Amino acid sequence: MSLLFRSRQQGAQQVNISGFRRFVMFWVHNLQQAVASLGELARYPMASLMTMAVLGLSLTLPATLYVVVKNTEAIGADWQHASEITLFLRKDLSQQEVSTFHKRLSLSNDIESVRWIDKNEALQEFRESSGFGEALDALTNNPLPDVLLVLPVANKRGTVQAQQLAQQLRNEREVEQVRLDLDWLQRLEALLNLVRDGLLALAALLCIAVVLIVGNTIRLNINSKRDEIMVMKLVGATDGYIQRPFLYTGVWYGFVGGLIAWLATAVMILWISGAVADISELYESQFALIGLTFNEMLVLWLLAIGLGLLGSYIAVRKHVRTIEPQ
Amino acid sequence: MIKFEQVSKTYPGGFQALNNVSFHLEPGEMAFLTGHSGAGKSTLLKLISMMERPTAGRVMINGHDLKRIHSRQIPYARRDIGMIFQDHRLLMDKTVFDNVALPLLIEGYSMQEARKRVHAALEKVGLGDKVRHYPMMLSGGEQQRVGIARAVVNKPPLLLADEPTGNLDPKLSMEIIRLFEDFNRVGVSVLIATHDLGLIARLRYRTLTLRDGRMINDGLQES
Repeated sequence: MSLLFRSRQQGAQQVNISGFRRFVMFWVHNLQQAVASLGELARYPMASLMTMAVLGLSLTLPATLYVVVKNTEAIGADWQHASEITLFLRKDLSQQEVSTFHKRLSLSNDIESVRWIDKNEALQEFRESSGFGEALDALTNNPLPDVLLVLPVANKRGTVQAQQLAQQLRNEREVEQVRLDLDWLQRLEALLNLVRDGLLALAALLCIAVVLIVGNTIRLNINSKRDEIMVMKLVGATDGYIQRPFLYTGVWYGFVGGLIAWLATAVMILWISGAVADISELYESQFALIGLTFNEMLVLWLLAIGLGLLGSYIAVRKHVRTIEPQ
Repeated sequence: MIKFEQVSKTYPGGFQALNNVSFHLEPGEMAFLTGHSGAGKSTLLKLISMMERPTAGRVMINGHDLKRIHSRQIPYARRDIGMIFQDHRLLMDKTVFDNVALPLLIEGYSMQEARKRVHAALEKVGLGDKVRHYPMMLSGGEQQRVGIARAVVNKPPLLLADEPTGNLDPKLSMEIIRLFEDFNRVGVSVLIATHDLGLIARLRYRTLTLRDGRMINDGLQES
């Protein structure tokens, strides 16, 4: 639109550009500028790749840590089965009373299953496996109590709920002693929380670093094109028009940096999974490390692109405006 | 077309480049602006192209007070002013075509329309066969003509030229001036800053003369 010569559009100019045409051309130009800035990056492949690698590798560390935390959480969830409550019953109960109590507990809504370890069987087993057989023979009566192993229903297995249930069971007449081995589970959870918080802080710091690195690279980029920017301003380019190629450069940094982050994370996980396999073998368990899911990869990629864009946005906002033709 | 009303410009640091300058350039007029180096020619052109703002007074283009134009609107206003520089200010890593097409693409022309206009502008300055060349491959005079093609490609009603013949021999200089005359003939207002007094003497155009920031002759007085 002509600002100083309002009649120019209608009168002197033969080609009148319609609003729709302008809109279409705006997007066509965006596409052209996006491709052009990719071409610009390809002209200095080493320098571009280095910035992209910094971006990608910076994101690899939090991504790998995230995978580790995610897997540890999965194991933790598996081990929740261990929140089994052990009930030591009073020794003066008859077989009949224990059986009734066992049935009563089995019917409770909070309890999934109850396993009864009969005191006589337990004694027999102990005699065979411990090697104290003769010593036990000297005893006149069975020193072991009947034991019930209570497994809460799935949603009562959390530390707090399991503790509540244990408290309830402690009040039962038949129960002598209740044991709920939750300490290690709580410790694991606390540890996971610590790692998760640390991960978040680390990720935030690395994201800031990425933004600064991209911003600085774009700033150098802008300075090296000082003359070109001046000429563009002289012939009437808006700041937005001048900024766009630089913003696209930032987006490309993120685009490729994200791919590098995927690759590096995959390699890291591959590496770690060897060690994990060794550990799980020692524990005689089947455990495979779960890598990044498709959605998580998408988030990582978008994050990389977003950071690239943010870094370049900060740089162009600050520097394009200050370059004025002289 | 261009009207200065008691315009002064003092740069930060206290140097007064223009002191109470007034003149009026009519629409469709062609004029020279002259004076020794440092007299304020460049500053005067910078005030018209809004690279600088006046410290006092008013600069008007086509009746619009430039003070009223917000800094965000400056790019749009500059599209109405064709500017030509002594050092051409061409983009050396772009072809002649890309250089001349720049103002059109910035304005949102499609490639086809731009191509038509770029070819027309280059034909006009006699460089129709150098479209695919890079500025480095051209002579000084040709580079200057590319600069002129870029300035006129979107048909601005006003042309400003800062020492357009500064690096050229008299023959080439005259060719460049003839080009400006051609544009002037179709109604474009032209203001040429130059210290090439010989050139001015050979042509009978209005001449504005600056000395130490004052306008000592606005070309209208009897002399």
